[in-house]
Amino acid sequence: MEHQPARILLIEDNPGDADLIRLRLVESKSEVHVNCVPRLSDALACLESETPSLVLLDLNLPDSHGAETFRRILQKAPNVPVVILSGQDDEALAIKAVHSGVQDYLVKGDITSKQLERALHYAVERQGLLHALEISRKQQIEFKNQFLSHVSHELRTPLTCIHQYVTLLLDGLVGPMLPDQTDYLKTVLKSVNQLHAMIRDLLEATRAETGKLRIEPRCTDIGELVKQAVAMMRPTAAEKHISLEVILDKAIPLVYADPDRTLEVLINLLDNGIKFTPPEGSVVVKASMVETDLSAVYLSVTDSGRGIPPGSLSQVFERLFQDPDAVDGSRTGLGLGLYIAKEIVTQQNGRMWVASQPGIGSTFSFTLPLYSLAKLLFPLITHKGHLRESITLVRVELTPISKVLRGSWKETCEKCLEVLRRCIYVDKDLVLPPMESSGAVETFFIVAAIDMERVSIMMDRIHGQVGAQPKLKAGGTLRVAAEKLPVSNRDDSRTLEEQVWGVADYITESIQQGLCSK
Amino acid sequence: MRAEEQNVGLQMTRAKIMVVDDDPDLRQALSLRLRANNFDTVNVCDGYSAIAMAQKEKPHLIILDLGLPAGDGFAVLKNLQQYPALSVIPVIVLSARDPEGNEKRTLESGAVAFFQKPADNEELLGVIRASLQAGWGWGGCLPS
Repeated sequence: MEHQPARILLIEDNPGDADLIRLRLVESKSEVHVNCVPRLSDALACLESETPSLVLLDLNLPDSHGAETFRRILQKAPNVPVVILSGQDDEALAIKAVHSGVQDYLVKGDITSKQLERALHYAVERQGLLHALEISRKQQIEFKNQFLSHVSHELRTPLTCIHQYVTLLLDGLVGPMLPDQTDYLKTVLKSVNQLHAMIRDLLEATRAETGKLRIEPRCTDIGELVKQAVAMMRPTAAEKHISLEVILDKAIPLVYADPDRTLEVLINLLDNGIKFTPPEGSVVVKASMVETDLSAVYLSVTDSGRGIPPGSLSQVFERLFQDPDAVDGSRTGLGLGLYIAKEIVTQQNGRMWVASQPGIGSTFSFTLPLYSLAKLLFPLITHKGHLRESITLVRVELTPISKVLRGSWKETCEKCLEVLRRCIYVDKDLVLPPMESSGAVETFFIVAAIDMERVSIMMDRIHGQVGAQPKLKAGGTLRVAAEKLPVSNRDDSRTLEEQVWGVADYITESIQQGLCSK
Repeated sequence: MRAEEQNVGLQMTRAKIMVVDDDPDLRQALSLRLRANNFDTVNVCDGYSAIAMAQKEKPHLIILDLGLPAGDGFAVLKNLQQYPALSVIPVIVLSARDPEGNEKRTLESGAVAFFQKPADNEELLGVIRASLQAGWGWGGCLPS
């Protein structure tokens, strides 16, 4: 700053004012280069190509007025100090500007050259400090993440050892155990599992904080997931003599959500419900459609526990929240479960909330958006406002041990995409051998748009086993059969949206009629 | 009668698993469990010995930790690929590290599966059996 001349971008439409300010700036001791533009649009263009040391700004310009002017400048150049030099002495606007991130609000005519020089100099210094603070904040978050990752790794190592030896004893692999000993070891194992869950939650909470939760939404049967979660939690409920009831609407539409993560949310809510409900109480899970909002499925878990005090209600989804009245036995986590659950729901475009009456019980509710094939198809099968001529429907089968396909759903998608690309590269009509039905673990369908060299792809499991699945950990085969479906009708008078709806129905029908299963 | 025949068959063709981990207690626990499930085991404590031992013992499967002295798990995976005879041995990575990032990297480096510690015993045994069954480097019958 001291050796290089300061580069000031002056935005001032009045030529007289502009000259005056320029003169004052040049008069001052420090060496400055002033670039003066009369319009906001010119200023935005300047900021596109170079970053000045400071922006000196009049608010009323030919193409912008008042708060809008500084808002757009701050948006364009968030790291450049901005000082307003206005003809209006408007205290309210000045405060608003400073709150938005403007460094200073000066009034023309009120200020001497010396004062102007000082104000600009301090603005640059303050901005520099803010920038340094921001960098330091990011470094601290990064350090915290690394620290947690390191700690969780180090904690897992001894935990693994305990887990291994306890299970060796429990499984009777190193000799018989007395019944009492088995019971005590089961208690040890339970604590090991709790510790394990806490370590996992620590990392998950960090990911949630930085928006890095792994969520892979797809077509999901929420009714099945509810049943699965309840089946998993039934032993825990039975142990405490708590009745576990499921109420499902007769026809619940499919939702667009990550089945594994959603199962996690359901289990978390059920576990909480059971934990805070006294013996002989009840926990009810409900999945339904609500007339006032037909774009989502509503899920709720209601317990007959002692409820949440009104004062704590707003805090239950906060990190590290623990019920202050909880007896030690029900305090088994870090207080991160509900925070993570809410983040999982929110990142899938759902909402989560709680209602509670002390002494009667609590209801945790959340929504998940409905699955709409048409909505997902839209970007895929339209091109420049028109329907594509044809699409390809591909049937994929996964066998249990697949060396090719491992890991997450996203990786599976990528692998399929790669196979398809290779097929298309060799044969543009995408002729693949039809496959015989086999003992596949999973069958799903891909809808792909093909325009010569490029294939965009969308995967949707429309049929087959839905819900959380066993992870395919190793080995095997990916089997693919594809069929080209013409979709465009040149004389179609319907709107583009209606046409896409039609295609969605057509695809669903094709799959149901087994077009792709020969 | 049939059970006996099977037993004889099993003794002839027990699969050999090499456990690579720098924690001696964990090596011992894993070996105990594997032997209880009719596998033979060889234990190794570092990356360098892993390659030497694999050449000498020709295991049918390797369980590999990532954080190891004298060449970490990734180096071991890379070195195994250098030898045609060793590159066919299925490797299951068992590490305390976060699957995020590490899972993909190990699979790309040639491992058949990634498990985070502590792993579910049944799931791990399932993948061990499945990997052996798939016949990489081993054609014998499987211990049940």
